[in-house]
Amino acid sequence: MSTCTSRRSLFRAAFRAFGPLLACGLAATAAESPNITGLTLKNGQFQLDFDPFPATVEYQLQQAPSPELPFAGNVPGLLGDFVWSALPGTGSAGFFRVVAQTLSSDELLEATLMSRIAYGPTPDEQARVRALGPAAYIEEQLAPENILEDLDHAAFVPTWHKVTASGLGTASALFIYLDGPGEAFLDDVRLVEGATDDGTQPNLLRDGDFEAALGSDWLISTNLVGSALTPDFQHGGDLSLHVVSTAAGTTTSSSIYQNILPALSKTKTYTLSYWYLTSATETAQLTVRLSGSGIVTKIPLKDPNASPAPIFTSLTAGTATINDLRAWHVLHAVESRQQLAEVLRQFWENHFVTEYTKEHDYFNNLGLDSNSAGQVATQLEFAENIRWRDAMRKPQCTFYDLLKISAESPAMIIYLDTVGSRGNGSNIANENYGRELCELFMLGVDNGYDQADIVQISRVWTGWSIRLVANDQVGNPFAPTTTNYLDPNAITNKTAVTNLIGTWAFNYKSANHNTTQKKIFFQHDAAGNVTTPKLVPPRFGQPWAGRDYSLVIPAGSGTNSIQEGYTLLAHMANQPFAEEFISVKLCRLFVHDGFAIGYDFTDGQTTPEEELVHACMLAWENPPNGGPKGQLRDVLRVIFNSDLFRSNAGSLQKIKTPLEFNVSVVRALRAQNGDGSFTATTDGYGLLAALSRMGRMLLFDRMEPNGYPEDGPAWISAGTLAERLRFVQAALMPAGMTGKSDAGTATMIDPVALLRLKAPGSLGDAGAVADYFLGLLFPAEGKANLAAFRAITVNFLNTDDAGAASPLSGLLPGTSAYDLRVRGAVALLLTTQRFEEQ
Amino acid sequence: MNVITRRSFLSQTARLGLSTALATLTDIPFVLQRALAEGSIGLTGPDGRVKKLLFIFLRGANDGLNTVVPFGDDAYAAPNRQTILIGKDPAQPFDTKGPALFPVSGQTTGTFDYANGLPLGNGFAALHPALKFLAPVYNAGNLALVHRVGYPKQSRSHFDSQNYWETGAPNNNLVSDGILYRAMVESGLANSLPLTGVSIASSLPLILRGSNAAMTNLSDPTRYNLLAVPNTPPGNLKADAALAAANRARFADKRDRELLTLQYQNLASTLDIFAQMDFSETGNTFVDDENTDGDQPYYLFPTTNAKNGGYARNSDTGKYVVPPAAYGHFQNLKAASLVLNKTSAIVAGVSIDGWDTHGNQGGANGAQAGLLRRVAWSIYAARKYFTKYADKCKWDDLVIVTLSEFGRTTVENSNGGTDHAEASVMFVAGGGVKGFQADPLGGMKRSGVFNCGGDSDPIPWQTGANGTMFQATGRYLKRNTDYRSVLGKLIRDHLGATQPQLNRIIPGYADPTESLLTRGPQTRDQTVVIGEPDLV
Repeated sequence: MSTCTSRRSLFRAAFRAFGPLLACGLAATAAESPNITGLTLKNGQFQLDFDPFPATVEYQLQQAPSPELPFAGNVPGLLGDFVWSALPGTGSAGFFRVVAQTLSSDELLEATLMSRIAYGPTPDEQARVRALGPAAYIEEQLAPENILEDLDHAAFVPTWHKVTASGLGTASALFIYLDGPGEAFLDDVRLVEGATDDGTQPNLLRDGDFEAALGSDWLISTNLVGSALTPDFQHGGDLSLHVVSTAAGTTTSSSIYQNILPALSKTKTYTLSYWYLTSATETAQLTVRLSGSGIVTKIPLKDPNASPAPIFTSLTAGTATINDLRAWHVLHAVESRQQLAEVLRQFWENHFVTEYTKEHDYFNNLGLDSNSAGQVATQLEFAENIRWRDAMRKPQCTFYDLLKISAESPAMIIYLDTVGSRGNGSNIANENYGRELCELFMLGVDNGYDQADIVQISRVWTGWSIRLVANDQVGNPFAPTTTNYLDPNAITNKTAVTNLIGTWAFNYKSANHNTTQKKIFFQHDAAGNVTTPKLVPPRFGQPWAGRDYSLVIPAGSGTNSIQEGYTLLAHMANQPFAEEFISVKLCRLFVHDGFAIGYDFTDGQTTPEEELVHACMLAWENPPNGGPKGQLRDVLRVIFNSDLFRSNAGSLQKIKTPLEFNVSVVRALRAQNGDGSFTATTDGYGLLAALSRMGRMLLFDRMEPNGYPEDGPAWISAGTLAERLRFVQAALMPAGMTGKSDAGTATMIDPVALLRLKAPGSLGDAGAVADYFLGLLFPAEGKANLAAFRAITVNFLNTDDAGAASPLSGLLPGTSAYDLRVRGAVALLLTTQRFEEQ
Repeated sequence: MNVITRRSFLSQTARLGLSTALATLTDIPFVLQRALAEGSIGLTGPDGRVKKLLFIFLRGANDGLNTVVPFGDDAYAAPNRQTILIGKDPAQPFDTKGPALFPVSGQTTGTFDYANGLPLGNGFAALHPALKFLAPVYNAGNLALVHRVGYPKQSRSHFDSQNYWETGAPNNNLVSDGILYRAMVESGLANSLPLTGVSIASSLPLILRGSNAAMTNLSDPTRYNLLAVPNTPPGNLKADAALAAANRARFADKRDRELLTLQYQNLASTLDIFAQMDFSETGNTFVDDENTDGDQPYYLFPTTNAKNGGYARNSDTGKYVVPPAAYGHFQNLKAASLVLNKTSAIVAGVSIDGWDTHGNQGGANGAQAGLLRRVAWSIYAARKYFTKYADKCKWDDLVIVTLSEFGRTTVENSNGGTDHAEASVMFVAGGGVKGFQADPLGGMKRSGVFNCGGDSDPIPWQTGANGTMFQATGRYLKRNTDYRSVLGKLIRDHLGATQPQLNRIIPGYADPTESLLTRGPQTRDQTVVIGEPDLV
C-alpha cells in the first residue's frame, strides 16, 4: 500500500478543513481499495474523488466509526464519474473508504482468454467459455487437432432465410423478379395487415404457400416463363416456387405477379414476409415488392456466410491469387473454433516473415507473366503456412519443427536471397538469411552471436536454392529440373520455365556450397583468429550458464553438405538464447509489450515479466511431460497459467493489430441465427484494403524481415486511427450507404438481428440495449467502469441525428430508423479507445 | 470523399479534457511551457519566419559508396565491385576542381542517359548518375553531402540501428522516445501548437514518438476524415459528439491508454486543419520555374505518369525523372511539403523503403539507382517548391536531411548485392546550408562534399586495399563522423536549440567521451571523429 502515505496526508487536511474523518482503506479481504485522490468542498457539498480501479463491477463508499473497526455499508451519494458527493452532515462523521467490488478471477481470465488466445469474443463463444470454464477452454484450445471442424472442406448447404418488411399499401399488385438472368427458390409468401405478422392474421395473397398449382392467381411474364413449382426444395409443405429468369424484371410486364383482392388501403400499413433459399454461386438479386414503393425488398441470393472452402480449393489447385490467400486466412480467423491455432498460425507466419512481392518479382524475372508469377508466389506462401499448421497439430510440436519448415521454404529462400547465394571458390556468401536467422528467427539481436558467426553461418546456407521439379519430386531436395513439357514438340525455348510442368520446391545445389570447415560461436583475438569456444553467459544462471555452445562443422561437399544447415538449426534451436527470445515473443503476443531479451536471471532482482520468461525457458528446457525440448504447448501453458496473464497486470494491456482489430469487429457481433446464417459476416476480401490503410499490414507480404510489430505505438497514430474508425462505421453501415466500401460491401453486421436473437426483451429499452452491447464488447472492464459509456450510449439511442430527444422506445424495431439508431450506437462503442485494446 | 469537416470533434470540452490529462503529465500549464522553454525552436524570427526541418528516412540501409562515389580511391574498382561498379568517364575527369557535372539531356535523349559517375568537382568524389538532379542544388551551394557517417559500436541490425538513429541513443535500448520528439518538446510548443512534428507514413516513426505530447502521423491525407452511421452531415456530427464524450470518460490506467488518449485527441484536433488543405491529385499543380533537364518545366511532385518528367509530352518512359513505383513517395512528400508550408508544423518527415540491396543492387541503373532517383528529385523539387510556392516556409527556412541506418559492404557479394556494414552518407540540403562555392577565379572556393575529398578531409580518406573502405573490421567503410553531430548541428544551429537543450535532446552531447561537438576519439571504440561538420 505504497500510496497510503499520500492519501493519509490528504485526508488529514480534509479533516481540518471540512470535518469528516476519512481514512486510508485498510487491506481489503474480498474487495479492492481504489486510490482516493482528493476531498473538496464544492457548491456546498463535499466531493471525494477517487481513481477508477480495473474490472470493477460496483463501487461502494463504506464507513466505520474508527479505523480499527470494520468498514461497512454503502453510504449514498456515489456518482458515476468516480466521485462521491454529499451535503455536509449527510451521514455521521467517521472514517470512510472506497471499495471496489471486482470481477471474479475466472470472469477476468475468461475475458482475457477470449481477446488473446482468440481474435476476440463472439456472443456464442463468450457464453460457451463461461459455461466451460477457463481451464477447460485453455486445454481445448491447446489441442486444435481435437476440435472437430473442417472449414476447408465444408460442403455448401443451401438454407432458407426469411425476409420481412413493412410499409404502406401503395398499390394492389405484388411483383417477384430478379435483376438479371438467374434462378431463385421462394416459399411461404405472406402479406398481412399491420406492422407485424404474428402468423395469425389472414394472408392477403392467394396461394402464397406455393402448394397448389400456380393457376390464374400468379401471372408469369415471358422473361420468367421457365418458372414453376418444384418439389426439389420447400420451406413448408411439399413445393416451392422455382423462379427462373432470363432477363431483369421491373414491373407487371416483367415479373411473376398477383393482383391483390380486395385492393389494399393506401393509408394502412402491411407486412410482407417470405422465405428464400441461399445459393453458393447465384449473383442475381431477388426483388419482391408491392407495386409503387410501399414495400420493397431486394436481397442478394448468394449466401452471405462466406466459407473458406472454395478458396481452399483454388489454393490447393495453385490457381489462387495472394488476395485469395489473405481472404482465406482472414475467414479462418473469423470463423474457426480453433482460435488459438489461428492466432498462432498468424504469429508464426509473421515470425518467419516472407514477402510475396519479392517472390512474385523473382518468378516474373524468370520469365513467368505477372499473373502466373503471382500464383506461384501465392502457392509458396500457402505451402509453408499449411506446413506450420499441420506441425502445430502434433501435441509435441517443437520450435525446431517450425524453424526447419521456414528454412526449407522456397518463400524464405527467395526472400532473404539464399536462392542465389554462392560460397564456392572466391564467392562471398550472401549474409541476408544468416543474419536474420540469428537476429529475428532464432536467437534475438546480438543474443549469443556476432559478425564473425554471421559470416560462417552464411556459408552454411550456400546451396540452399529452389528448382522447378516434377510434381512427384517436391520432397526431394536433389531432384533435377522437371522434364515434363507443356509443348514437347517445341523447337525453341523447350526448357524455358514457361514450357515446364512442375512445382517450385526447395532444392540443394551443392556446387554452390562453401566447402570449408566452419567454426561457429567461437571467440576471436584482435587479429580475427579463432580462439576459444563461446560459453553461455553467466546471466542465464543454471542450468545454462557456462555451457559451451560452439559448433564445428567439418569441411564437406557434395549432397551430404546439405546436412550442415540442419545441424546448425538443431544445435541452436534449444540453446538458452532461442529459449529466451521465443519465450519473450510469445509473452509479448499473449501478455503485454513490456518483455525484452537480456534479463539477468541471477542478480536477485526480478520482475513478474522476468520470472515468466524464466518459467517459460525452464518448461522449454525440461519438458514437464517428457519428450523433446522446446515443445510449444509446454511454454504456452506456463504463460496462460501465470499470474501476470490472469491478473489486471495482463488484462487489457495490449492494443490490437489491424488484423486483430478488424477480425474482432466482425466476431464481436457474430452469432448464429436459427436458420444457420450469422448476424455478422465478411467475405474476407473486404477487410484487406482496410488492413493496408491501417499501417500497411499486407498479409504474407512484409518487406522488412522483422514481421509486423506487436506493440501499440507502432500501430497507433492519428492517421491510422482515422482508418480504424472509418472501418468500424463502414462495417456497421447497412448495404448501399455511402462509405460502405471502406469495410468491403460484403462485410455485413446486423446488430438488431443480434438483439432479437440474444436479448429480444430489450429491443425497446435504450438502457437494456446499451447494457447488452457493453457487456458483449467490454467484458473485462467491469460494469461500474462503464457507467460513462452507458450514459453516452443511452443518450445516443434516445437522440435523433439532429440532436433532439427521440426515445428509442418510440421507434419501431424493423424500421430503418430503429435499425440505423442501433447501428450508430454500436459503431460508437466500437470506435472508442477501449475497443482498440485487447 | 466525405468533405464534411468535423468541427464538433473539436468541441471545447474535448480540448479541456486533454488539457487536464497533459497538465498532469508535465505539471506545467501549456502557456507556461513556452515561457519556460529556452532557445528558439519553432519561434518566429526577426524576419517573421520559422525555421523548419524535413527528414527523409532511407530505410533498409543505403550503400553510401555507390552514392557519393570515392573515385579517388583505387580500391573502388573491380574485383571489390563488379556488377555494381559506377564507371568513370575519361572525358569528365573527377580530379579537376569546380562545380558538379550536370549532364542535361536533350529532348531526344533519355533523362538518365549519362551512365557514369558525376564528378563533384572536389578532385576526389562523384555522384551516382541517378543523383544528377542533385547537381543543380549542389552547384547553387544548397547541398552538403556528408560521407563516412556512423556511430560507435555500429549495430548491423536494421531494427536496432534504425532505432538508434531515431532515439539518438546508440546501443541503448531503453530510450523509447525520438530525437525530433524531444526537440519538439524542448520547443515548449508541443502541447499548444496544433501541429509540431508530422510524418506522412504508414505509421508514426520512432523519431517522433514520445509519451508527453502527440506528434501527428497521416497515412493517407486524402482519406483523413471520418464516417458515421447514418453517413449524413447530422449523423456525422452526432457520432463525433458522442465519441468526443466517450473520449473524456475516465478509466483505470493500462499500458497503452495514455497513448490512445493522446492520439485520439491528436486526431480530433487535426481533422479540421487538414480538411482545409488540398491534398488531391487535381491540387498537384506545382511545376518547375525553369525548363528542366533541357526540356519544358516539369511537375515537381511526380504522382502520375503524366506528371513524371518529360513523359507527358512525348510518352517516352526514358524521360521519366523517377520510376513509376515512386508515385506513392511523392504523394507523401507533397503532403509533407504542404504541411510545412501551410501549417504550424516545425518538422515533417517521410520515408523511402527498400534499400536493403543484398542482391541485384544494380549499378548506374537498377534497384538502388531507382531509389536514388527518388532522393535526388525529392531534394530538387523541394528546393523549387519552397522557393516558387513559399508561404509559411521558404527554402532559406528549411533544411532537408536524410537518415539511413548503416552502409553496406565495400565488397560485392555473390548475388550482385552488398550486405550490412557501417558508415554511409547523409544528404543535407537547404537555402541556409553551407555548400559548394565557386571560386571567382575558377575552380572551387568551398566544397559541399564532407569527408570524401581525399587528403583534404579533416581525417583524410586513405586509399587502397587497406584504406578507409576496409578499416572497420574488413569489408566496412570506417566512420569519421557521428550522425548525432549532424543532427545536433541542425537542431541547434538551424532549428534554434540552445546547447543545454541539445544536451537533453541528444544526451551524448553532454558526454565528452562521445566527441560529438569537436574532434576527438569516441571512447567506446576509440575511433576518432571530426565532431560537428560545418554544415549550416
